[in-house]
Amino acid sequence: MRRLTTIALLVPLGIAASSVVLSSYWLTLVISVGINVLVCVGLCVMAGQAGIASFGQAAFVGVGAYATALLTTQGHLPPWVSLFASLGLTVAFAFVIGWITVRLSGHYLVLGTLGWSVGFYYVLANVPGLGGYDGISGLPQLFLMTGNDERIPFNVLVWALEAAVLLITINILDSGPGRAIRVVRSKAMAESFGIDTSRYKLAVFVLAATTAGLSGWLQAHFLRFVNPNPFNLNASVEYLFMSLIGGLSHFAGAVIGPFLVVVTKSLLQTNLASLVQTTGNYEIVAFGVVVLLLLHFAPNGVVSLLPGSLQLHSRLTGSAREALNSVEKPARGGVVLSAKGVSKYYGGLRALNEVSLDVGAAEVVALVGPNGAGKSTLFDLLSGLAEPSAGAVSLLGERVDGQSPRSIVKRGLARTFQHAQLNDDMTVLENVALGGHLRGNTSLISAALRLDRRKEAALLAEAALQIDRLRLTEVRDEKAGSLALGQQRIIEVARALMVDPVIVLLDEPAAGLRFAEKQALATVIDELRKRGVAVLVVEHDLDFVDQIADRVVVFDFGTKIAEGSVATVLNDPRVVEAYLGRPRSAA
Amino acid sequence: MNPTVALLLAQDGITNGIVFALLGVAILLVFLVTRVLFVVQGEFVVLGAVTLVQVQRGEVAGAAWLLMPLALLCLVLSAIQFVRERNSRLWSLQNGICLLALAIGLCATFYPPAGKSAWLQITTVVCLITPMGPLLYWTAFRNICRSSILTLLFAAMCVHYVLQGLMLPLFGPEGFRALPLVRGRIDFGGIWLSAQLIFMLCVFLLLTTALWLVFHHTLPGKALRAVSINRVGARLVGISSDIAGAAAFGLASLIGAVSGILIAPLSNVYYDSGFLLALKGFVGCVVGGLASFPLAALGALLTGLLDSFAAFYASALKDSIVFALLVPMLLYMSVTQISGRGEEAGE
Amino acid sequence: MRNVLGPAVWMMWAVVLLTPASARDEIRIGITGTFTGPAASIGIPYKQAAELFPSQIAGHSVKWIVLDDAGDPAAAVRNARRFTDEEQVDAILGSTSPPGAIAMFDVAVESKTPQLSLAPVSVPAAKRMWIFSVPQAVPVMVSAVVDHMAAKGVKKVGYIGFTDSWGDQNYNALVRLAPAKGITISTNERYNRVDASVTAQVLKILATKPDAVFIGASGSPAVLPNLTLRDSGYEGPLYNSHGSVSRAVLQAGGAAMEGTIAPTGPLVVADELPDSYPTKKAAIDFVSAYESRWGKGTRNPFAGYAWDAMLLISAAVPAALSAGEPGTAEFRNALRGSLEAGKEIAGTHAVYRYTAEDHEGVDQRSRILVVVKDGAYHYLAN
Repeated sequence: MRRLTTIALLVPLGIAASSVVLSSYWLTLVISVGINVLVCVGLCVMAGQAGIASFGQAAFVGVGAYATALLTTQGHLPPWVSLFASLGLTVAFAFVIGWITVRLSGHYLVLGTLGWSVGFYYVLANVPGLGGYDGISGLPQLFLMTGNDERIPFNVLVWALEAAVLLITINILDSGPGRAIRVVRSKAMAESFGIDTSRYKLAVFVLAATTAGLSGWLQAHFLRFVNPNPFNLNASVEYLFMSLIGGLSHFAGAVIGPFLVVVTKSLLQTNLASLVQTTGNYEIVAFGVVVLLLLHFAPNGVVSLLPGSLQLHSRLTGSAREALNSVEKPARGGVVLSAKGVSKYYGGLRALNEVSLDVGAAEVVALVGPNGAGKSTLFDLLSGLAEPSAGAVSLLGERVDGQSPRSIVKRGLARTFQHAQLNDDMTVLENVALGGHLRGNTSLISAALRLDRRKEAALLAEAALQIDRLRLTEVRDEKAGSLALGQQRIIEVARALMVDPVIVLLDEPAAGLRFAEKQALATVIDELRKRGVAVLVVEHDLDFVDQIADRVVVFDFGTKIAEGSVATVLNDPRVVEAYLGRPRSAA
Repeated sequence: MNPTVALLLAQDGITNGIVFALLGVAILLVFLVTRVLFVVQGEFVVLGAVTLVQVQRGEVAGAAWLLMPLALLCLVLSAIQFVRERNSRLWSLQNGICLLALAIGLCATFYPPAGKSAWLQITTVVCLITPMGPLLYWTAFRNICRSSILTLLFAAMCVHYVLQGLMLPLFGPEGFRALPLVRGRIDFGGIWLSAQLIFMLCVFLLLTTALWLVFHHTLPGKALRAVSINRVGARLVGISSDIAGAAAFGLASLIGAVSGILIAPLSNVYYDSGFLLALKGFVGCVVGGLASFPLAALGALLTGLLDSFAAFYASALKDSIVFALLVPMLLYMSVTQISGRGEEAGE
Repeated sequence: MRNVLGPAVWMMWAVVLLTPASARDEIRIGITGTFTGPAASIGIPYKQAAELFPSQIAGHSVKWIVLDDAGDPAAAVRNARRFTDEEQVDAILGSTSPPGAIAMFDVAVESKTPQLSLAPVSVPAAKRMWIFSVPQAVPVMVSAVVDHMAAKGVKKVGYIGFTDSWGDQNYNALVRLAPAKGITISTNERYNRVDASVTAQVLKILATKPDAVFIGASGSPAVLPNLTLRDSGYEGPLYNSHGSVSRAVLQAGGAAMEGTIAPTGPLVVADELPDSYPTKKAAIDFVSAYESRWGKGTRNPFAGYAWDAMLLISAAVPAALSAGEPGTAEFRNALRGSLEAGKEIAGTHAVYRYTAEDHEGVDQRSRILVVVKDGAYHYLAN
């Protein structure tokens, strides 16, 4: 982590320093690379981490470039003043466009960016006062009087900015908000832990647009001329491809990609054109073939060659000086969660039929029933992922049905998922820490400026505690995706416990676990009970249910058919018929 | 605007719309079967149009120079696979089509079709362009067919770049315009309809009917439809996603060739005309909800009409207006989709 | 991936870095233009002309370095930097598109290298010292059209042009020149180079009942409005911009282009010019050289601009050689001084006369009108 930060600062600053020794042509090339890198860093985080691949980044570069062009040539403002206008206007644009765009789901979002990318180009060319397709020329230089070569200070500025942007990127990714950004793709899971996915998507969108706007400001003063062409759809695609070649999974790809593309393209333009006599767009062919090969053989881009030690992962930093706040658990005997006559219809299909259920404080209730009996549907209704068609759900005495998962988790309900929903590229520690999103909540800005360290340390310490408790200590810094399915379920449990819940909903937590692991899980559930936490668990392993549950509720075809202690329920003839097929004693 | 102008605009819009609709239907077919957002469809149209012009001029069709290397590449890949995996068959549909494509390419190079027969010209175009679809699928998409929609879109963009980049030296920067296959206009008491429009409408209806028949009354067609409705399910009942993908691409290139033939006499076609066409066909698809063929065709017709009317009222901003249509449509689709559950970007 | 990509890229770098900077007695001229991409049809003739450039000027060998910028201003700047920094060129020709040429101005000024723009640009006074514009400025060309319209009694003209810089420039020139001659402009319609139909725009133009239509397009896409106007029953005069004057347009347009009028440089109809026309000899020389290399009928105005730039350099070199060796700042400065010395140089397009105040350097003799008759351009002697 620290090594990565050092490199992320040293490389750009090194490039800035090398201005003095670079041949003048390479200086130009390196500046071009730097201007592209700024766009790609934002894009890389947005596409690689938040899953928002945008075909419209060039438009934001255009906003930044035109804003400064207009203000410095017509308004005669110094470029350092217009920088703020460039950034401000880009942010404003990004807010408006992003507000609509992030509401598009899945691949519609990508297509949406395509739409406004094409639209923007023609608008740019047709708004009066922007110089039409010829654009605006005669922009002032940043440092020296016009007519003097200012490339050396310019290069220093570009790469110093680069270092700052990379540092902020690392700071954000290595923080609570950063982890939230990395899971906004899994909307249901993220929202269940209180992450406002739309807000984080918008935040990332605006951040990426800001780096693009900054790049536009630089580009405008580097070429000292703007016209609409560099801001069209093709340019946006090129930014995306540059990032893709570098690799979207790591922000370093945003540096490597533009470097490879700009330099190689420039070399091809000069060398290939003289080799091949006929006129053709051969560099675009080469470009296409290279990316196609990458997609086939190295889909993660060049960064997949980086050593593991340079991966960006949060690590435990010593001992935390403060502990996370924790809420008072309700008194023993009170009802924590109560469902009354809850039904759910999908069209004509009744997934749940007038189910009523109470879970008391410090009580462990097990839901059993054959597959398709409606257990997971009930979990979705209780946690807010779905709205009941009829009936009421209350949590600690307050109605919560119809409320969002975010507001339900705030009231202390945490859950796991039947199919583990972890971010495969994050470590176990990071995945677990995600559960504490609401407890360790800090703003993006304080994360960017590293003002969140105490909270972050407390959050990670707490996550490590849960990990130890569930006997995952050995794999704490492994990527979650590399673990066995059973372990992934336990990570889910640890993550749910990070919420500091008053009730936790566990969806088949013991499936795929070995005996010793099951015992550890049983111990944890028992500890929870002792601490006054209510537990609702779906489980098929009846011995395990017998071991942990105070009470069992049996479901079949969306209806509750039996309820009671383990022993009574398992001997209920209806249960035996519906679920077991034969009396347990015969087993 | 008086009624005559409105009528002429509508006629122009429908003419454009038919081309967009053909593109839209092909793009949707490919998308539903393989999840590839096939921006390359525009290149097929251009290839169809340019090939028709070259055949009419009695020149060697440049498309043959794309088809043959592609077929060879595909054969090489298949040979590599044969060496690597002992269990793959030497004699497969893929290799058969490669050899057929080579034969067509050689034939078109050494015995360019002579004569003025429109049928011969059309047959040549269709034979040269159609094999490219499956060949492209096998070379560029098959091995990554399980990737995310986004990755597949990138791959399609790459193929688009490669093809367009190769078409510039192959065809040159100038426009190609074919001699009309049908001439004249038909007068309805002062209001005329061009014969070309009627011809296009006929071909469009014929093609869509044929597609409907194939999809609803033949086994391979039904299999393809099954894949488009549920890929995993289709795989479970034994429909090869490999063949289904190649078939979808083949149908797309066939439709592309026909679209090219239809558009070639109407206007100049350039080596880079395809991308904008594909994007507009694609807008049509989205307007139609990205799910049903009749709706996609209808959406594309609407896009064509909007294109035409926007060109009348604000020609400089025409494309902005057409593409701006995407955003509210997508927003509507996002909102109406069942939200919250299992949604993954790119999946 | 690492195994293949790495060495390939390093090798290419090595090629660039190890290219020896040879001792100079040769003159080096950099040429950058749009030789690939959508605007390539206009750029390619420049490159074809460059292949015919002499290898010696005034007894010195000349190295012409041709690079492609694909119409991208940033690439044009990079190419210009490469010319000035790596090759220490004595002059830069290009780029062939206005945005590219404009973006290169600062490189020329900073490095004190004369730049001969191969695209029509207006040279800002502050940078005029090092920038020369070779092609006729668009208003110069459009003035010929407006004059002809006025003479024919046109009162109202409809305009349709590209949705790009070319469409803007022609429209702006028309707006500037036409009202003075009592001509009103009824429409400003635009279309995309690759659009399949301009029916809607044409309907709008026809609804304003213009006496003439001016089409601001270039290359073979210029045909579409001509064709659609004629198909829609418009029989009035059609004027095209000078960007349309090419063989490709005649081929693609066929009968639809018959009778259309366009301004252009005199070289297009060099054989038909009266013998007294000052540019006739240069034009005939160039056309015969160009057509014997690239085929009969391939002449086009764009190649002529490249050729004229070469003629201008050739004329300026002898005086500059007395001031310093090629590759030195003295030589470049003398070259610039010699270019703007006010001498009249007859090129294929114009009689160029640059002075310290005027770096656009062409007059009314640089443009003529041509009319399409029997599938060929013919001189329209008013």
